[in-house]
Amino acid sequence: WESDNDDAGNNSDSSQPNKKHTVDDTDDLDPAAEYAAWKLRELKRLRRERDAIEARERDLVELERRRNLTEEERRAEDDAHVAAQREEKESRGKMA
Amino acid sequence: MSKPTFHRADERRFLDERGSSGPLAPNGLNPATIMEKAVRERIVDSYFYKEQCFGVNEADIVDRVVEHVDFIGGVSGIAQKPTPFLCLAFKLLQLAPGDDVLAEYLQFGGEKFKYLRALAVFYVRLTRTDKAVFETLEPFLEDRRKLRRKGRDGTTLTFMDVFVDDLLTKDRVCATSLWKMRKRDILEDLELLEPRVSPLGALEDLLEEEDEIIQDGEGGEANGDGHE
Repeated sequence: WESDNDDAGNNSDSSQPNKKHTVDDTDDLDPAAEYAAWKLRELKRLRRERDAIEARERDLVELERRRNLTEEERRAEDDAHVAAQREEKESRGKMA
Repeated sequence: MSKPTFHRADERRFLDERGSSGPLAPNGLNPATIMEKAVRERIVDSYFYKEQCFGVNEADIVDRVVEHVDFIGGVSGIAQKPTPFLCLAFKLLQLAPGDDVLAEYLQFGGEKFKYLRALAVFYVRLTRTDKAVFETLEPFLEDRRKLRRKGRDGTTLTFMDVFVDDLLTKDRVCATSLWKMRKRDILEDLELLEPRVSPLGALEDLLEEEDEIIQDGEGGEANGDGHE
């Protein structure tokens, strides 16, 4: 299972297990940079979670707003939305 | 049904009975069907599995990982050959180690051998309850060691925290469909989990700081320790 390694450079020096891979996974070559890269990844994860919460809250606020509208207001909003969609679609049709 | 008192050296009984005689995994899944059938059959057919996973117990798993696992991944190549990582994960499904053994894999062994920890977090994600998965895996979002990952497009570099994050958020990792867990915020609402506190500190300060870092560029070289 090791002989047909598809990213093997050359199989002659198989005594060095790290040589048969093109990707180096040695740790602590540059601890500061590795820490900084990890910190950036961690921040992106936190940001992603925060964005998900915010999106969900926006949805709830919007839902609440719609529920408090009267029937006419809701219909007017829907008509405006449908009209906007239709316009979008027609303008795309002309382009083609 | 309880766990048999002795371990069968090969997988025949495990597969023949399709897990009907053994115990279920703690999350209620049948360990014999957690991996997909096609993948299971390729694993059982592979030379690595036949040669290195015969008559292996929980302690031998450590030896095998240290000796043979130097990348993570599912199946590779046109023949979709299963990786040693995946074969050993399948063996773990068969062995069904307890939480004490897994804790050793993750902590003491995991500190020394990063691929052992990677294997153990993968196994925990497949078999433990959602609450336990979050509690066990989240501390390893701090582990920034490098891992080789072999995918369809060759070998790439990834990191332990990225792998753990994939396990927590994606639905398919290493040629295996992960079972659908409840989301973290649902578990928080049910008061099963405390909100996660990042090792970096309070969230609000960090989000401001993050914008600065991203504006500085993503190289990560220059701003390495400017924030300490």
